[in-house]
Amino acid sequence: MTSVAVGLSRDLAAKRVMRAEVQGYDIAVWRDENGGLHAWNNRCPHRGMRLSHGFVRDGHLACLYHGWHFRKDGGCAYIPAHPELEPPETISATVFSITENAGVIWVSATDTAKAPAEDGEWEPLRSLSFACPPEKVRHAIENTPFAGQLPERAASGHLTAGSTALLVHCAPLGDAETLAHLLVAAGTSLAGRKALSRWCETARESAEAGPA
Amino acid sequence: MTFTLYNYVLSGNCYKIRLMAALLGVEYETVAVDFYPGMEHRSPQMLSLNPAGTLPVLTAGDLVLTETQAMLTWMATSFDTSGTWFPAGDPALLGVVQQWLGFSGRLTQSAGLARLHSMLDWPVDGQAACAAAVKDLRILERHLTDRVLEGGLWIAGETPTIADVACFPYVALSPDAGLEHDAYPAIRNWLYAIRGLPGFVAMPGIHYRHEGTSGTNG
Amino acid sequence: MSREYATNDWYPVADAARMIPGHGFTTRLLGEPLEVSGSFENPVVTARDGRMLPVQVRYGHVWTTTGSAPRPLFDIAEADETDRTFVPCGAVQVRCSPLRAVENFLDIAHFPFVHTGILGEEPHTQVAPYKVEIREDADEVWATQIGFHQPQAAKSATEAIETRYEYRVPAPTTAVLYKTCPPKPEAWDVIAIFVQPVAEDMCIAWPWMALYDDVSPYADLVQFQQEIFLQDRSILENQKPTLLPLDPRMEIPTRCDLTSVVYRRWLKRKGATYGALTTAA
Ligand SMILES: N[C@@H](CCC(=O)N[C@@H](CS)C(=O)NCC(=O)O)C(=O)O
Ligand code: FES
Ligand SMILES: [Fe+2]
Repeated sequence: MTSVAVGLSRDLAAKRVMRAEVQGYDIAVWRDENGGLHAWNNRCPHRGMRLSHGFVRDGHLACLYHGWHFRKDGGCAYIPAHPELEPPETISATVFSITENAGVIWVSATDTAKAPAEDGEWEPLRSLSFACPPEKVRHAIENTPFAGQLPERAASGHLTAGSTALLVHCAPLGDAETLAHLLVAAGTSLAGRKALSRWCETARESAEAGPA
Repeated sequence: MTFTLYNYVLSGNCYKIRLMAALLGVEYETVAVDFYPGMEHRSPQMLSLNPAGTLPVLTAGDLVLTETQAMLTWMATSFDTSGTWFPAGDPALLGVVQQWLGFSGRLTQSAGLARLHSMLDWPVDGQAACAAAVKDLRILERHLTDRVLEGGLWIAGETPTIADVACFPYVALSPDAGLEHDAYPAIRNWLYAIRGLPGFVAMPGIHYRHEGTSGTNG
Repeated sequence: MSREYATNDWYPVADAARMIPGHGFTTRLLGEPLEVSGSFENPVVTARDGRMLPVQVRYGHVWTTTGSAPRPLFDIAEADETDRTFVPCGAVQVRCSPLRAVENFLDIAHFPFVHTGILGEEPHTQVAPYKVEIREDADEVWATQIGFHQPQAAKSATEAIETRYEYRVPAPTTAVLYKTCPPKPEAWDVIAIFVQPVAEDMCIAWPWMALYDDVSPYADLVQFQQEIFLQDRSILENQKPTLLPLDPRMEIPTRCDLTSVVYRRWLKRKGATYGALTTAA
């Protein structure tokens, strides 16, 4: 499985852009006004500006530096400095594969992005950053008691904390950080979701406390 | 004229006043203070206005205010006809607003100092300031995530308040110190929302959203 | 070896505000630590091995060089016009190549997006054709006949004007611009960026101006330039790769980038590659 979870669908609304890291690539992830997702190499072909600082306008992602517009296929649509110019076909952002399922956004920098099939209904809890590698995050999450009891571990990424089913996807962010994307079974009460949010912060404390 | 702001363009605290005024649609005058490299905030003239030697300073007639949080309170209660920026009639909400005003002072000392160190080589412990800033970003992310789970967006209540204005600058400017927002989705969306408010003004390090077809802000 | 050319240029390491007698400080140049002490009038710069480096005080800054055969420091004639206001704007640290900082300074197409409402604004985004040349006698890059619509071209500007510009690159890490002076149309305002190459991927920019403006308070002049440069900083720290690519296949210019294209070509030809990427990555 070469796809990487980069964020929760809830946290990337239409016309928004974010930065992610996938298999060592710096990636700009953006959602167009129709809800479509796009993952591009985070480097403007013009002068290398990170496209994740850009803005979505007229169905394009535009670069903050000189405002060049790029179509959904990555091709350059418009160069503001030369409004009459038809940009050459050769100018294009590098496009990667992206998909979303069960509230999670997945990107692959090397082949077609695939989201794991999930049974059941899930709701987003939060994406939480840990200053340690993914193995330590998983270990801490599985070993941090919730309401006095250790979570039960089911299939990969699946846990039950108290009586609530949880889904956890971890992805490295840079060399020293991990972003854990957490979802809970649909219908979990607000109090329950907040309690789980506190619980994963406790897990973070123990994950970060140990030797690096 | 409504008031005069003793202003430094790169100061996140001065920006809080400029942003609040823009969001309230209030006109004002500025006096530029050469904070860097001139250190003019420590000049006898500035010290007589504010013995603490900090910026911003706000004057309105005989009134001289130091401390950003006091200025925001004064501005909202003087100029906000909607009564939402400073929710005086709702004790619980006002308590939350005051809590995060207090927190905004922490941000000046953490993310604010980390930025001054990284940008202007300010003689402070940059690593310690960065560590404190990460701690504060996590505290704000935790709160804003709770707000998202509650179906909210702003720091307190259903509308933006002076607490959002007070916390915005040093959080938005943390990339100036190399502290990116990639790991903080709730903060990222809150920053987007503030940048989208009618009347929003930018400052160096914080750009307009540029989403409208020809305006600055959309 | 990319340092070789660079060692024989002069670089700024302090301004008057930084030089406090009795309070020497450490800085870095081309990856090496330096001690700066003395006074602004009589500065002392010492290398790590204790060697005293040559110094000169010019354009509001203390300049030094580490090489054995330094080229002369370029001349800015306007620095001797005593009716100008000289405005050193302090030091700003940027995590980028010194050459990226200079290239950004030479670029006008970003004004509407990065300096919105000051140096440019939509829909006035068009960049008209202009002239770029390498002046072989002086070994400098010059861009002339540039015009751009500006909402607030200078602190002294009272309305949007069509500003005229000329750019000059007298050394790989220095750019000087001459632009319309709103209160004195027959003269040019001079704005320069002196870049101290701390390392290949880190620099300190020392903006400096020589203006005709008897009206604006001094602090306003400083802040006008700082506002603009700090807007650029947030761009410069997000350009990738960090080093300036000299291989023309790595980044795609368009017509308005002629200054940048010629600047890169000039650097490559001279071997001034400290802070540059010379092979495609
Ligand atoms: N508590 C003050 C803090 C303001 C502050 O720290 N201002 C900075 C500029 S952003 C300053 O003047 N620093 C100078 C110093 O602390 O000496 C307020 O809220 O106004
Ligand atoms: S770098 Fe993106 S438009 Fe110029
Ligand atoms: Fe610029």
